[in-house]
Amino acid sequence: MGFILGGLDSEPYDREYSDGELVRRIIGYFRLRARSMTIAAMAMVGDSLFGAAVPIIVSQGIDVATTSPTVGRIGALVAAMLLLRLLAWFLNYVRQAQSARAIGDVVLALRDDAFKAVVNHDLSFHDQQPTGKIVSRLTSDTRDFSNTVDLTMNLFSQILSVAVIAVAAFSINVRLTLLIWAMTPLVFAIALSFRHLARQATRNARRVLAKVNANIQESVSGIAIAKGFRQEQRMYEEFSALNEQAYQVNVVRGLTINTIFPLLTGTFGIVTAIILYFAGASALEGVRGEGGLLAIGAITVGEWYLFMQAMGRFWFPMTNIASFWSQFQDGLSAAERVFSLIDAEPEVVQTDDRAVPDLEGHIDFENVRLSYTGEEIVLPDFSLHITPGETVALVGHTGAGKTSVARLLARLYEFQGGQILVDGMDIRTLDLIDYRRHLGFVPQTAFLFSGTVCDNIRYARPEASRQEVEDVAMRVGTEGWIEDLPQGLQTEVGERGTRLSMGQRQLVALARVLLNDPAIFILDEATASVDPFTEAQIQEGLELVMEERTSIVIAHRLSTVRNVDRIIVMREGRIIEEGDHETLMEKGGHYAELYETYFRHQSLEYVEEMRRPTS
Amino acid sequence: MDRQEFTVKEAQEYNRSSPLRWIISHVLRYPHLPLGMALGTILANVLMSYSRLIIGDAFRWVTTPQPALGDLLELAVLFAGVRLAQAVLSLGSNVSVEFLAQRLERDCRDELYRSLLGKSLSFHDDQSVGDLMARATNDVRQINLMASPGVRLIFDSLVGVVVPIATIATIRLELLVVPLLFVIFLVITLKDYTGRLNPVADAMRRQFGEMNSEVAESISGIEVIKVNAQEEREERKFYEDAADFRELFVERGRIQARYLPLMVYGAAFGLALLHALGVYMRDPGFDVGNVVSYMGLVGLLNFPTFISIFTFTLVEMGIVSAERILALMTTETELDENEEGFAKRPIEGEVRFEHVTFGYDEDTPVLEDVSFHALPGETIAIVGETGSGKTTLTRLLNRVYDVDEGCVRVDGVDVRGWNMESLRSQISSIEQDIFLFSRSLAENIAFGVGQQADREAIERAARQAQAHDFIEGFEEGYETEIGERGVTLSGGQRQRIAIARAFLADPGILVLDDSTSAIDSETEDRIQEAMFRVQEGRTTFIITHRLSQIRWADRILVLRRGELIGQGSHEELMRGCRAYRRIFARYEEE
Repeated sequence: MGFILGGLDSEPYDREYSDGELVRRIIGYFRLRARSMTIAAMAMVGDSLFGAAVPIIVSQGIDVATTSPTVGRIGALVAAMLLLRLLAWFLNYVRQAQSARAIGDVVLALRDDAFKAVVNHDLSFHDQQPTGKIVSRLTSDTRDFSNTVDLTMNLFSQILSVAVIAVAAFSINVRLTLLIWAMTPLVFAIALSFRHLARQATRNARRVLAKVNANIQESVSGIAIAKGFRQEQRMYEEFSALNEQAYQVNVVRGLTINTIFPLLTGTFGIVTAIILYFAGASALEGVRGEGGLLAIGAITVGEWYLFMQAMGRFWFPMTNIASFWSQFQDGLSAAERVFSLIDAEPEVVQTDDRAVPDLEGHIDFENVRLSYTGEEIVLPDFSLHITPGETVALVGHTGAGKTSVARLLARLYEFQGGQILVDGMDIRTLDLIDYRRHLGFVPQTAFLFSGTVCDNIRYARPEASRQEVEDVAMRVGTEGWIEDLPQGLQTEVGERGTRLSMGQRQLVALARVLLNDPAIFILDEATASVDPFTEAQIQEGLELVMEERTSIVIAHRLSTVRNVDRIIVMREGRIIEEGDHETLMEKGGHYAELYETYFRHQSLEYVEEMRRPTS
Repeated sequence: MDRQEFTVKEAQEYNRSSPLRWIISHVLRYPHLPLGMALGTILANVLMSYSRLIIGDAFRWVTTPQPALGDLLELAVLFAGVRLAQAVLSLGSNVSVEFLAQRLERDCRDELYRSLLGKSLSFHDDQSVGDLMARATNDVRQINLMASPGVRLIFDSLVGVVVPIATIATIRLELLVVPLLFVIFLVITLKDYTGRLNPVADAMRRQFGEMNSEVAESISGIEVIKVNAQEEREERKFYEDAADFRELFVERGRIQARYLPLMVYGAAFGLALLHALGVYMRDPGFDVGNVVSYMGLVGLLNFPTFISIFTFTLVEMGIVSAERILALMTTETELDENEEGFAKRPIEGEVRFEHVTFGYDEDTPVLEDVSFHALPGETIAIVGETGSGKTTLTRLLNRVYDVDEGCVRVDGVDVRGWNMESLRSQISSIEQDIFLFSRSLAENIAFGVGQQADREAIERAARQAQAHDFIEGFEEGYETEIGERGVTLSGGQRQRIAIARAFLADPGILVLDDSTSAIDSETEDRIQEAMFRVQEGRTTFIITHRLSQIRWADRILVLRRGELIGQGSHEELMRGCRAYRRIFARYEEE
């Protein structure tokens, strides 16, 4: 509905790139589709010229009619008019179709670049960016970015038609044309002050709407409690008050926005009346062939008509030109958000891309130093040697650096000092993709992709046969956990695996690792408990996975710490104790303390001792 | 009126028999507003057409033998006046519609909200919060947009076609030929246009949604993608999604570019000029003023042609939204308040399941032939794998669902015979996902008893629930806000708030679903203690992974795929139930 109303609800955004830089990059993308863009631009020029010629022809027609009408001249004029209209329609078609093609391709290229960048960014990047923000940059901002192109095209087309009309008008009568141009500040003043008000009202409306929505969301999410305690009336009253408030604010916004068109057309009406009078006076001069009372300069009747038409073709494009800049800025902001996504510097940098042979599973951390922010040091000087086939548990309070050790080994973060060797090779020199194929990593919340259980098990090895998947699934769990799934291996796991229970998700994640048969297994144990039956199954599956390979487990479960070869006790990024469960317990150090906090209540002794108080 | 669990007195009733009737019944609450819009629009259009006649008069004036400048001034002033009045009238019309549209949104949201509060818990269990939110926000907004600018513009276009054409008829009847032909072709081409555009536009919306959700999934799973070295595959998948979207985008662009009504208008304009000049040449009674008026009136038809590109879509989308909202509101809720039912306070807490069978759909029973008996004050632990029916069993108690076969008795009375209010208010549940409202801690604890609880009672409950100490640890103590504006509580803290809530509400029967408890909890002892305490003096059903809670329950129910494969005390089950023994077996090996 006219682009004076466009982009009212965009957020202010801090700019880091200069306008010039952004425009250059945008043009760079469009260079790929130079042909379509050139055709579209040429069609646009033609369209604007032809469109502007229409009132000129009508005015000629009127002149012919009032002076020396002949059938031939009228026929020629009408034929020209029809041809012009047809051509204008066709050029408009070419312009729109070509620019849709170009914009479609550019948005696709941009999305592709942005997604590739996102997938290849380090984990530290993803830790800082909420998922929703990245998604909206990838999908919505790339779309909004394309608006700048539409806007710019429209701007040029409007300027062109204003220019054509202006030239025609100037050539007829300078004073009248100046009179029209004198209205320009008025148009700009109305359009800009209106935009300011409307933007304000829109922000208020959005804010209050967010409140209402939050209220509904909370009510719906907490409905069980509201009903359990029969608090519906109270909740309804709260909602009602907010709903009423939203109504008030929205009415203000609606009224503001709806004022603009009547205001513009009303003002335009008055301005037209002024031109009607002055141009009419000139036409009178023209008809009488003598200087009139106002002495503006004589024009013909047809030219009078042209001036009347010129007003309309001048006024409305001007309102759009006035609001171009702020909308163009919105589009640039969107482009900037996308570019900054693409430009984020990776921190994990490989120094070489050596191919990785079959690994035995030696792991050496040599004086590794790690800091995520540059200030807070997570691992000051970490050394650890693990022999092939060994199973090591990392224990410690939250923040002790356990997860960091695991993630460094998977090369998900960059470290600042020392080195990490696998079978004697510096992991910074390896081909990253190749190296990771030799790792099996199960993060704390076992993440599944939507698709079937089978798809998820063979995620890392899509070429694995159905039989292999079945074998692995059978091995990882006991007593028909697959049969418990509604459609066995073909069960859809739902978005992020939510249709499976936590325990089932962990079994799938273990099967995924087992199928890939990695030399090194890294497990970040879940802190949330699963039911005791599934717990027993996971335990068995885990033992199977850990049996044949070097394993590092961030342990949260008592049965794990009891079974591993070696427990590494960490505090503030340092190893302060190591050994097996019994020796560490006897020692009575930090491990014994951790045991009290995290593991004791999982023991049978605790269960027996925790007798229900009889009162 | 369907059965409701919650009703507001003297609430406005609407006709819910069809989406259109429903919207109309909403509109008719404020009959003066659509009337205002209609009058305003019609008059504004009449004045607009009249202003074109005035311009014609001005051109006629210049061709008269002795034109006086004063006459032109009169015409110009008249013109300005007419246009000003036109602007005021169309503003009036816009204002009317705007009020109507905003009221529609407000009323629809209100009606939907009331209806949601009135639905049973089983209804809410089946609905995803996301979907409900989409209807309460987008669909309700869409109804607003349907009125303004949707219906307003359609009406405006309609009047904007009829009035100029009628005005043309007053100039000369024969001049109607071109405009009428134009209308016929406009209708045909518009229909063709929307028929082509709508499927593509729908497909685009769907594809955009798909692309969004796939991207969201990939990014949430980025760690898994990286460690499995599957970046390339994800890139390929995304590219395919984005390329599909691009195809649709280009296709839509092509359809929009080929907007035939504009060509129809162009042709009509040329033919109109031909016709006007033709009449002018053969008929001296038809002067330049008539030509200008006529061409001006034909020019007015440009706006309706142009604006129709998107108005119809708005109305269509509004109707679809209305349908979606209605579908939600008219879903029958299975249970009702049963005000005449059995009421008793306080409840004893005796529970008996007699051959209970239940399934969410008919073919797959979730519980099969379950029977047990719980005495008042007993603690019953329910164990079994995820999906074995533990949670479902507890939901039959407070009638979130009703059994298919058999019956559930509380204090000897079938729950279906109880007064809903009396039954539910005496059975409290502490769910797995503990939900806290974004209010102060004190209000959250007192939520169950409304405003009646005094500070002393709240603190007592918090002490019993082992929550007092950590609450006092916050700067603002009991007044600390939870949620976005306030603090985030850990799982264990949330649980203790919920337990405090239960202490205050003091129900005869308590359902405690503890199945997502975190192992990594430094306050395990305190939680255990709070849980044991809250079980005292009431019948408690507990779903838990904490072995100590299972170990010391009065009675344990072992479920496997909906069947009760064992019940009894810990000792009895260790002797007689293999599945139960397995839980404890891994400890015995050591």
